[in-house]
Amino acid sequence: MAADMPFLRVDRVSKTFEGDGRTHAPIKVIDAVSMDLQAGEFTVYLGPSGCGKTTLMRIVGGLETASSGTIHLAGDRVTGPDRRKGMVFQTYTSFPWLTVIENIRFGTKYRDDIGAAEKVEIARHYLDLVGLGEFANFYVNRISGGMRQRVAIARTLAAGPDILLMDEPFGALDAQTREFLQYQLLEINRVEKKAVIFVTHDVEEAVFLADRIFMFSARPATIIEEIRVADHVPGERTMTTKETEAFFLLRNHVRDLMRAEAKRVEDAFEPAESG
Amino acid sequence: MLRADARAPPGRLPIPILFAGTPVTEKSLFAYRGSSSGHADLILGICAFVGFIGLWYAISEFELVPQRFLPLPWKVLEALWFMLVERNFIEDIWISVTRVWGAFLLSVVMAVPIGIWMSSYRIVGAVIEPIVDFIRYLPVPALVPLLIIWFGIGESSKIAVLWMGTFFQLVLLIADDAKRVPREFIEIGYTLGAKPNRITRDIVLRSMLPSMVDNLRITLGWCWTWIIVAEIVAANSGIGHVIWSMRRFVKTPEVMAGILTVGIIGLVTDQAIRLVHRRYFRYL
Repeated sequence: MAADMPFLRVDRVSKTFEGDGRTHAPIKVIDAVSMDLQAGEFTVYLGPSGCGKTTLMRIVGGLETASSGTIHLAGDRVTGPDRRKGMVFQTYTSFPWLTVIENIRFGTKYRDDIGAAEKVEIARHYLDLVGLGEFANFYVNRISGGMRQRVAIARTLAAGPDILLMDEPFGALDAQTREFLQYQLLEINRVEKKAVIFVTHDVEEAVFLADRIFMFSARPATIIEEIRVADHVPGERTMTTKETEAFFLLRNHVRDLMRAEAKRVEDAFEPAESG
Repeated sequence: MLRADARAPPGRLPIPILFAGTPVTEKSLFAYRGSSSGHADLILGICAFVGFIGLWYAISEFELVPQRFLPLPWKVLEALWFMLVERNFIEDIWISVTRVWGAFLLSVVMAVPIGIWMSSYRIVGAVIEPIVDFIRYLPVPALVPLLIIWFGIGESSKIAVLWMGTFFQLVLLIADDAKRVPREFIEIGYTLGAKPNRITRDIVLRSMLPSMVDNLRITLGWCWTWIIVAEIVAANSGIGHVIWSMRRFVKTPEVMAGILTVGIIGLVTDQAIRLVHRRYFRYL
């Protein structure tokens, strides 16, 4: 069965958050979503806020369970979180009691596939890869938010995951830092060649980063459109990609999809019976 | 006017030497949540303390209150010295300190794991919390007679009183500390390959440590309240016992010396723990 299985298969996944029968009605957040991802593919989940894209990513990571449907990663059924599915959150999750290098080394702490010496080496490697060499011995609350996210990325990579799950990792950063980190993330992944699922509601970010964009509807999430960015924006992504006409056209197209979805939700708005 | 004053920029306090290097202005001292300065705070603290002693001295010296009730400050120190040298008061101090620390450590070794456990598993919290909530509202002095019936007037009843007075508060404080560890930290633990017991040890406990130490410091303070209560009611040793027996002879200086001793021990311990806090949690 694993032979014809893609790297990641999401098979008719649905998720309903159960109500309590009184004040909270059950909420269906994901409706039978299926997709296949290739190894090394950079995938972006794009959709309006609260549409269920984060929940889908968390199900892939094993941090939530699907109400129905299955996930297979590299042939194995996903049943819970582990080291193969690395997470980067929007909030700063680097540990304040550790320095930059200690945080990155924490990523290797629970690996039993490598020895102590190799762990030190790996931590050093990822420290340099995210460009924080000179901040190695700084506590993480002494460095900027952008640097903290780079620490989190390095820590996750140091754990040696098969796939990187990123939940709006640059959402809390200012525009300049965000652009810089988007570019750096692509640079890093040119080396790492990891499969990535990147959740965002920023259209430009999605078009710039993705090999493939999945555009989701408002709750319950279904796939509205699947976009292979290389079909529209050819060539390698660089700092100037965002200024090209091809990028501009695709961005506008995706933005129109987002707007149409937002309008549809507004028009269909009914006061919710639950909070 | 001093020459230094003339040079001081407007708004700056006229004691620039004391505040050397710290740009403290009257503005920042009186501003709502104004920036603080270690130097200025220390000096203000000392000034207030000296002022307090001065007020006490004045009231006693001019007999606004009879000296039988409020002796002069140095009479209290004299009494303390006499008790230490002639009455073996140091032994009572030692007994009280060991009772406090014995009971405190017993509370801590029970409250820390149970508190973390309560926050980690909903079923444990659901079972324990109502009981703890009930017991912690029972006034400890009301339990003293019962505990004496159960444990006699030996050491175990003192430990029991202190334990009753601290454990049930502490366990909830610890559970709260553990609950405040961000959920993302725990999820990061899972996705780095940690098992729940390692997450508890390496992430939850480590993350909550600074606030836990603060709570332990506060709880240790309560122990000193309860030890005096316990020693007054039933004991033939300890600081509380000494205070209570001196009262019978209306030896106000000795009574106040006993109280002063508790205050000093409390202040020293508190500062020591704060120092440890600053030393080990430098990242805060």
